[in-house]
Amino acid sequence: MRLKSSLLLLPLLLAYTCVAADDNPKLSRVYVSFEGASSATVVPGKPSEVELRFRVKDGYHINSNKPKSELLIPTTLKLEPPSDLASEGVMYPPGKDLSFPFDPSEKLNVYSDEFTVRAKLSADKKASPGNFTVHGQLNYQACSDNACFPPKNVPLQFDVKVARASTGHHGTPQSPHIR
Amino acid sequence: MNRRATIIVVVMIALMVYAGWRSRPTKNTAMVAGAQSLTAGEAVGREAPDFVLSDLQGKKVKLSDFRGKAVLLNFWATWCGPCKVEMPWFVELQKQYGPQGLEIVGVALDDSPREVISKFAKEMGVNYTILQGQDSVGDAYGAMGLPTSFFIDRSGKIVESGSGLLERSEIESDIKKALAAGGNAGMQPTKTAATTPSKT
Repeated sequence: MRLKSSLLLLPLLLAYTCVAADDNPKLSRVYVSFEGASSATVVPGKPSEVELRFRVKDGYHINSNKPKSELLIPTTLKLEPPSDLASEGVMYPPGKDLSFPFDPSEKLNVYSDEFTVRAKLSADKKASPGNFTVHGQLNYQACSDNACFPPKNVPLQFDVKVARASTGHHGTPQSPHIR
Repeated sequence: MNRRATIIVVVMIALMVYAGWRSRPTKNTAMVAGAQSLTAGEAVGREAPDFVLSDLQGKKVKLSDFRGKAVLLNFWATWCGPCKVEMPWFVELQKQYGPQGLEIVGVALDDSPREVISKFAKEMGVNYTILQGQDSVGDAYGAMGLPTSFFIDRSGKIVESGSGLLERSEIESDIKKALAAGGNAGMQPTKTAATTPSKT
């Protein structure tokens, strides 16, 4: 009987758990979400690009990778590929020049809504074919129309397929009729 | 079955305790003393949490050293656009209300080195106290977004607060409220060289 009563309390405890976690502003305030990555296949010796999609919460903006002032914190992507893969560079989209109600006279270069960052990845020649998981994080600093928030990061991960390298000896077989 | 149910209950309670621990109010560290963390909308009427921070010359400044004066405590950062809008207003208001006992104190919640904050303050013509902030102080005041301002009366009580860019008229009105409240009895500002904050 006592056990049944305890079980009845479970939904209440679960609700409390959710509310308690949501009450902490440091835990609940997320301004950018990682929406996913394009499928990427990397052949050793031939770098390949992957597109990483992000969404900025409605009513907020973040600095682009090249903000107009050195005091502003740029958006940056850091990747930590596994040892058989390497990051060959990150290409950021241009930001939008926008002014905001807090200072209509100044234009800031920002990302809002959705934006895509491209990353070039290469595979080691000795990499075994298969799927690899790449981890990383996007660092950003968000503002609304009248307030700014401390820098944050959004962790991300995506899979990259490493395909077998072409050796050059196994091209299209020649027709036996060609001499 | 009973055993399984017991395990579920124990796991759920553990989760609850964990969530409660994660969401606990940040305790004041050694830098902040005498009050629990403030939460948005509940600051008015409470005593302003005391703290000790360094000014731009490296001198330690304690908030309670300003007892007897009205304090506009403003949390800001060099990377915060709306904060930059308020700063020229603060310069004017410090000039206007300083003789009546107003002390504007800007706490820079900024990872930039002191030199960068100092250069920025100089470019903005800041004539009021700027302190190098620490997260523990921002947390104690619940300053999640910047700018965030607290209007503290002469006795150290918060009479108004505001988060985000405020209207200039609103700031001035709240300054007047802080100057008028708290009385003066026994609350003269400290005048010793060791505790009087320096201006930038």
